[in-house]
Amino acid sequence: MTNTSTTDNTAVEYDKVLLHASVKLNTRLLAGVFGFVSGLSLFVITYISMYRGMPDTGQYLRLLGVFLPGYEVSHFGAWVGFFWGAIIGALLAAMFYRIYARSIPDLIKAYLRDGARNDDLLGMPMQLSGHYLGLALGTIISAGLVVTTNWLVIRGTADESTHAQLLVNFLPGYSVSTVGSFIGAIELFIITYVLSLLFSWIYNNVVAFRGKK
Amino acid sequence: MDKSNQDKAILMASFAKMDPVALAVALGCISGFIIFLATGLLLIQGAPEGQEIGPHLALLGIYLPGYEVTWPGAVLGAFYFGLMGVIAGFVIATLWNLTHYIYIVLTVARAVWWKMMAD
Repeated sequence: MTNTSTTDNTAVEYDKVLLHASVKLNTRLLAGVFGFVSGLSLFVITYISMYRGMPDTGQYLRLLGVFLPGYEVSHFGAWVGFFWGAIIGALLAAMFYRIYARSIPDLIKAYLRDGARNDDLLGMPMQLSGHYLGLALGTIISAGLVVTTNWLVIRGTADESTHAQLLVNFLPGYSVSTVGSFIGAIELFIITYVLSLLFSWIYNNVVAFRGKK
Repeated sequence: MDKSNQDKAILMASFAKMDPVALAVALGCISGFIIFLATGLLLIQGAPEGQEIGPHLALLGIYLPGYEVTWPGAVLGAFYFGLMGVIAGFVIATLWNLTHYIYIVLTVARAVWWKMMAD
């Protein structure tokens, strides 16, 4: 059978086709939801910036136009921001879930190895894997830093990017250069990974606490 | 191993309900912690004589009234970000669960429709 996976170490079998279809569906749903939320967030932030009554409207927010072609703090720019926010949000969410979904086979094996009865499985709240969450978020955020920094290098505005340079306050060794972007990315990955472990620990403990009640 | 049990394990691992309260608490704690840490880090590093500490991070005050790069500001920022994290966590978990419910309802409705058409 080609659609059944057997792992040697646990001798647990599961339907790989069903798993693949589930992951594909979740990826699409997550991409859809996050695309919409990201687009809407940028849209709302743009309008808040316009109507907040600051002397120089969108002085910093408009810098996003460096990365999002056509974006500006205006009525039309808000829609451009919605478009780019939706596209980028959806892509990042899809990438995130594709990496995080690697935790699912472990979860299935744990369910089956523990001999969970059917009734036990139904209605169980999701458990988060801190390790895979850290890998997924860490990879995406670090890659984001490398891509955006090197975009500034490629367009020749690295020396003028004083705001990006401020990241050195949080990521020692970071600079708006190719080498600096990789140093920053490694640090950012570690920070994200540790925070993800903490995040998952809190989530799983609250779930367990509520389950006991 | 029972095949239906295997399939249920896959479906539960993939489509388990997210706990909105747990996600709200976790995201609230982490969000608050991050802004407190970021503000605190700038305060510890300090600034040259006569210069403002963290003028760019202080711009968050545009969106978060009262926020500034000071220790009381760090606590206020942690509160604001914590609150936003709680709301975002609850909304994300609810949306995640809702999209799955909607998908399941649509799938079942489509199956029933095709069965009716076939009959």
